[in-house]
Amino acid sequence: MFEGEFPEFIDTRPLRYWLDDGLNWVVREWSYGFESAAYPLRVMLNTIEDVLLATPWWLIILALSWLAYGATRTPLLPILVAVGLFFAGLMELWEDSMKTMALMISATVTAILFSIPLGIVMARSQIVLRVVTPILDLMQTMPSFVYLIPVVMIFGPGNVPALIATIVYAAPPLVRLTNLGIRHVDSGVLEASQAFGASPRQRLLGVQIPLALPTILAGINQTTMMALSMVVIASMIGAGGLGYQVQQGIGRLEVSRGVFAGLGIVVLAIIFDRITQAYGKQLQEQIGLAGGRS
Amino acid sequence: MQRLKLAIATAIFALGATGGAVAAECGTDRKIDIAEMNWPSAAALAHIHAKILEEGYGCEVELVAGDSVPTSASMLSKGRPAIAPELWIGTVQDQWKKGLEEGAVKDAGLAISDGAVEGWWIPTYVAEQNPDLKRVEDLPAHAELFKDPDEPDQGRFYSCPPGWGCEIANAALFEAYELEDSFNLFSPGSGGNLDASIVRAFEREEPIVFYYWGPTAIMGKYDMVQLEMPEHDPEVWACNVDAACEAKGKSAFPTPPVTVGTAAWLSEEAPVVFDYLSNVALNNVQISKMLNWGAENKAGAEETAENFLKTEEDVWTQWVPADVAEKVKAAL
Repeated sequence: MFEGEFPEFIDTRPLRYWLDDGLNWVVREWSYGFESAAYPLRVMLNTIEDVLLATPWWLIILALSWLAYGATRTPLLPILVAVGLFFAGLMELWEDSMKTMALMISATVTAILFSIPLGIVMARSQIVLRVVTPILDLMQTMPSFVYLIPVVMIFGPGNVPALIATIVYAAPPLVRLTNLGIRHVDSGVLEASQAFGASPRQRLLGVQIPLALPTILAGINQTTMMALSMVVIASMIGAGGLGYQVQQGIGRLEVSRGVFAGLGIVVLAIIFDRITQAYGKQLQEQIGLAGGRS
Repeated sequence: MQRLKLAIATAIFALGATGGAVAAECGTDRKIDIAEMNWPSAAALAHIHAKILEEGYGCEVELVAGDSVPTSASMLSKGRPAIAPELWIGTVQDQWKKGLEEGAVKDAGLAISDGAVEGWWIPTYVAEQNPDLKRVEDLPAHAELFKDPDEPDQGRFYSCPPGWGCEIANAALFEAYELEDSFNLFSPGSGGNLDASIVRAFEREEPIVFYYWGPTAIMGKYDMVQLEMPEHDPEVWACNVDAACEAKGKSAFPTPPVTVGTAAWLSEEAPVVFDYLSNVALNNVQISKMLNWGAENKAGAEETAENFLKTEEDVWTQWVPADVAEKVKAAL
């Protein structure tokens, strides 16, 4: 038994039956509940998508360019943003880009709502940190194909399971970086605030979170990027948009379609990456000035 | 030194001799690569043929992952893989026909002897509750039943994932039946998603209208009824599967020929193998039985194939000469 293949100690089949039948049971008995629980997600995603699709294209280009200008105060990034979006429009990818953007924004917003509070709790409690860290590791390393199908069976095919799969994959870095940002706030500053008689709540809201903001913003940046990297996989369970175009390109052996849609994803990635990074840098400079340190 | 050389020469000669013997039986010493398609019946067939060719005929066999469009494209342009054990000709019609004419590929024979089924289906419990829903024309009146959760005022029809030949055919039928106003043509994005959606609906006893095909494990497991379409009309169909053609029409799916496709070099270099492949058709019942065993025992393609070889000797020993059958049996 010490040669060759690993010996079969137990029959794993009962376990597999149990898991598979269990999933079917959950689908039969619980999926209605899960579905209603996910209803707010469905509404948010569909609303964002509708708004983006109803807004005239030039207004979206203008708005994002303005956002880029606000972040950098130089004309370079706004021009890049405008050119990139214009390219997406020219390639007949406008609608798909908006759908993908809606998925990414919804995923990021939901991730922010859950991750930042969780990150804060993690930073304040060693026990929570020990429990949550392995879960985050699991979320980030478990191949998404594994949970795609169960998610579909529980939430039903369409946008919602795609959004949920994207959140599972994209949320962990934000939790980690929020935790990290708060833990790394200068202890001297904390002591000073304590000496001035700040309560724990005042310390958190007035000192720790503001000083951790650049790190948290880096987390948001990571989350946006990871949400974008999920769009092709999400399209396998019914999300439309650029990912679906890539999928079609592969399926029909239309390399051109895949390349154009892929470039569309790159454009979105560059836009959101540069804008969030620029805001992060701006924030860091402000804190540097306010704190009187270099 | 001299003796060493001699020894090496003898060794090489011996190797060459045995190599030659292998090639003589199989016909070729080229590696025969078999496409293991990403759906269960084709994957199991790939393993069955691999086992028989390797153990029975002494061929050098390799399994490679595949899917209708990319595999046939590669067979047509490169002659690799050598064998596609379950090729749905309908999905790759034009290119394959051209390849047959040009002599790049050859159909060895049928893979499913009594043909496969393809169509639009509803669960039997839906059909029983709605006796007036029988034909595709009846769908708009029942759109409410198949509500699309993302767009509740429309129904949802589950079509094929991108890249499957049926995707184009379904879109054409959708257009011909003027379903745009009452239904959304939902693309599941992947075969796994289509299966999961169907299983979910059946487990919850919910209405669903979807494209599907058989023989498959899902078709064997759940009771479903096919929606009627007018009899298959090859002319209408030719337009329906051509994305560029505009006059889409109503016509049932053809009974799709499912063949064992081979690269042309196989029949020239290994006629024995080609003859074997022209003989390996299974019928719907046999395939469903095999797939059901696999689904019930949570077996992968390889295990399903082995079980088939062990339990269905009467079937497969008909495909091969007695001495080959003995060798395969000995290896099981």
